[in-house]
Amino acid sequence: MADIKIIIDGRECIGKAGDTILTIAAQNGIEIPNLCYNKNLKVYGACGLCVVEVENVPKLLRACATVAQDGQVVHTDTQRVRQARKIALELLMSDHEGDCKGPCVLGCPAQTDAQGYVKQIALGNDREAVKIIKEKVPLPASVGRVCPHPCETQCRRGLVEAPLSIAYMKAFAADNDLASGAPYMPTVAPATGKTVAIVGGGPAGLTAAYQLAVKGHAVTIFDMMPEMGGMLRYGIPEYRLPKKVLASEVKLIADLGVAMKNNVKVGKDITLETLKADFDAVLVAVGAWKSTAVGCTGDDLQGVVGGIDMLREVNEGKLPDLGKSVAVVGGGNVAMDACRTAVRCGAENVYVIYRRTRAEAPAEDLEIEEALEEGVDFKWLTNPAEIIGENGKVTAVKLQIMELGEPDASGRRKPVPVEGKFETLAVDTVISAIGQRCALEGFEALTQTKKGTIEANEDTGLTNLEGVFAVGDATNRGPSIAVNAIAEANAAANAIDAYLAGRCLVVAKPYYSKRNVTEADFADREKLPRAEMSCKDPKVRRGNFDAVINGFTEEQARNEAKRCLECGCHDFDDCKLIRYANFQPIDPDRLAGGKHECFKEQRLVTIERDQGKCILCNLCVRTCREEVGKGILGLVGRGFKTVVKPEFEGTDAVAGCKDCLKCADLCPTGALKILK
Amino acid sequence: MQAKAANLLGENILGTGFSCDMRIKAGAGAFVCGEETALIESLEGKRGMPRLKPPFPAQKGYFDQPSNINNVETFANVAWIMANGGEAFAAMGTENSKGTKVFALTGKIAKGGLVEIPMGKTLRDVIFGIGGGIRDGKQFKAVQMGGPSGGCIPADLLDTVIDYKALGATGAIMGSGGMVVMDESTCMVGMAKFFLDFTADESCGKCVPCRIGTKRMQEILTRIVNGEGKEGDIELLEELCLGIKDGALCGLGQTAPNPVLTTIRYFRHEYEAHINDKKCPAKECPALRTYSIDPDKCKGCTMCAKKCPAGAITGEKKQPHVINADLCIRCDQCRTNCKFDAIIVE
Repeated sequence: MADIKIIIDGRECIGKAGDTILTIAAQNGIEIPNLCYNKNLKVYGACGLCVVEVENVPKLLRACATVAQDGQVVHTDTQRVRQARKIALELLMSDHEGDCKGPCVLGCPAQTDAQGYVKQIALGNDREAVKIIKEKVPLPASVGRVCPHPCETQCRRGLVEAPLSIAYMKAFAADNDLASGAPYMPTVAPATGKTVAIVGGGPAGLTAAYQLAVKGHAVTIFDMMPEMGGMLRYGIPEYRLPKKVLASEVKLIADLGVAMKNNVKVGKDITLETLKADFDAVLVAVGAWKSTAVGCTGDDLQGVVGGIDMLREVNEGKLPDLGKSVAVVGGGNVAMDACRTAVRCGAENVYVIYRRTRAEAPAEDLEIEEALEEGVDFKWLTNPAEIIGENGKVTAVKLQIMELGEPDASGRRKPVPVEGKFETLAVDTVISAIGQRCALEGFEALTQTKKGTIEANEDTGLTNLEGVFAVGDATNRGPSIAVNAIAEANAAANAIDAYLAGRCLVVAKPYYSKRNVTEADFADREKLPRAEMSCKDPKVRRGNFDAVINGFTEEQARNEAKRCLECGCHDFDDCKLIRYANFQPIDPDRLAGGKHECFKEQRLVTIERDQGKCILCNLCVRTCREEVGKGILGLVGRGFKTVVKPEFEGTDAVAGCKDCLKCADLCPTGALKILK
Repeated sequence: MQAKAANLLGENILGTGFSCDMRIKAGAGAFVCGEETALIESLEGKRGMPRLKPPFPAQKGYFDQPSNINNVETFANVAWIMANGGEAFAAMGTENSKGTKVFALTGKIAKGGLVEIPMGKTLRDVIFGIGGGIRDGKQFKAVQMGGPSGGCIPADLLDTVIDYKALGATGAIMGSGGMVVMDESTCMVGMAKFFLDFTADESCGKCVPCRIGTKRMQEILTRIVNGEGKEGDIELLEELCLGIKDGALCGLGQTAPNPVLTTIRYFRHEYEAHINDKKCPAKECPALRTYSIDPDKCKGCTMCAKKCPAGAITGEKKQPHVINADLCIRCDQCRTNCKFDAIIVE
């Protein structure tokens, strides 16, 4: 055949006469999206994605079916083409429940691939699991011990009996990796010659340092404390996170070539200006280290201390004298750390004062449970009205009795005082654990929010100063959980990397197709109990700072990992549909309506068909008929109700399936899954 | 059979040495099989789904052989042209459209039926001349031209000349020659939904724009006639219409949006009334109607109360009756059965 020449998107493309526009484009490295085309099958033209504009042709043409004519001028990316493609994709997605990512992955602020690493743990590949985790969380042994695990909240195993114990599995895999003697180390890109200063060596700073070092940048962390780790080191008590574990993970980051300078405080030992001048980029991740005061009469008395101040002191190795009776104000995780630390410091009576009930307390329920086991006395529905002292020192706290009223803006029922009802507790120390604020001395050049935090771009961490980024507790909404700071650090690391390369970073939230499931969808699943973490005896725990949990046994961890329902689509990485759906912003929700029912069926030998993922491209039907010569599959029903089924719903036809798997190979979305 | 008996069909026709046979094949009756390539697929014994063109049937048709595929009306015209000559045929009609055209005149017309007219007559000629105007002394509102894939043409375009170009300019088509006449009591949104229900149901399910697109349009139209339309629905419909016209594989899909596009073009205010005011100006959409009884006209004959399936009407004999709006299911039974025109529909 003779050669012909056509122009595609301004580029001269040579092809054979008789070839289609799609073929010639592909041969010349120009991708035209398509879902129902296959070079070995007859042209079908159903998906509507491969439409192109050809000059002097009024209609859009399907590139898969249009034989190119010499001299044709083709455009694959005009406004009209994009609009047609967008509508086609939105329509497809409005009837597609792809379940792209497991709810655990989407539930994690850092989008850690929990399903992926749990699978590796199930297979016994802890190192592989750690590799997956460290793509997002470079401190898995530490974070696995302390994370409130939003992933588990989303875990669909909860619809069967109980969510997977994902966080502890993460710690298990990471502990094994650390103990292996040759822990996983990522491949570091060749040095870029660019330098980054990170202020603050907490979870955010360490994460950003890891990511930037992997990308080949020279990173230096400056931290005001004697050791790295931030709140993980000085806020979280030893009994929850042994400092040895944290130190080993920090060391691995140092081994990547990250320079770590401790006892350096910006604003005192060095200025932000100097850092900005000496480094190509600066990341501020200084956390929130100031306790919020109780806010009642007497909160300035001797014996009133801040929760994180007390925790820091203990984590520095001091054992403060808190007296016999201690009241901790607050219902969050810091309050739990404070009260349980107070028990371990020798206080006989430890109270928690919280104005709502246990149901509303932001602390993890397990933490509350363990505090109760250790003898902490919870004064639910009380609020400090006055801290009473003698000679300037605390002697008692007067509590206002509260009750729950109408729900407030947060949806929680608002606590209101019961008029005239009070209770007085005799205490030696009052610990304020009702919140933290930032101390931003030395960072005055950065614009602040009304909350007194650094204002930073939510997607990139960029501040008002060029080349200066900020993440974590010190920014925007203020203190949150470690994995939130880690998520922001990952995003900022990408932004800094782009900034250093002089690239413009386009942050687009990826589109994922989701699926709504209920308990009924898992009614046939065998119930397998969640692995229970063994803990030390509460009586023993009270007297020391040893780790409370014993860690999973090998058998426990492997079996727990095998409970995973593997919700996220097994074909995500190869799915053409989701790739095209992310070529441009789409909004299928505006076209939400009736959908095909989601169910899985196995009617061919070793292939499971997921109706919710089928987009009726008909490739499976066509390959079975045209290539295999069997014609076992067919389309049944008409219009919107059309489905792929064994032709004429015959069972005899299915018996002819020779298990060649061609249909599953060609499926562009993962609707057909090979079970072996 | 007669032609075969007379040797006008079959082997060695009239001793000329030319053989030609004919077989009539009955299809299963899907609308999409009016699309030529879907018809060919179905003739080949496959599922009635259109093929991509090119290749056109004249190049590769029935079992990939060059095929002449046409409507019965076209073949009938050919016979006439053969008998009377092309010039005689071309003498009828307009510059763009020659000859005659058969229409199925139906709807709220005084005299309906099949009519054949020379091209170039106006819609008014057909509807008011041949058809005798609107039934029951009501007002003409619009005419749906060209079947479910056609478009509606409003009263102020009644003088449109019937030829391909002029009809096309209105957004309608000649199509199958359907001419459905509507009067003031027809809701244009409901009308668009009626035709879309049909095309969505008749979609073969092959291409995405038609399979899912018509379904989504149908859903949006359903919520509008049920008084659940949202701001932006008209624009969303328009966007879908254009997307489906541009993206659908065959004529069914490409023309399915026509009734919606033309009703939005000529009767946008009716859509707006349904969405914004939750009112159906033609008082046809059941969900948007309220029924009451005019006490001055009601004679208390009890007919409406007897017919009401919901027990929503109460009243003493020979006293004006009342409708309980909470119980009323808007079935229209009371109005159609009232002999005194006492039922008020709003």
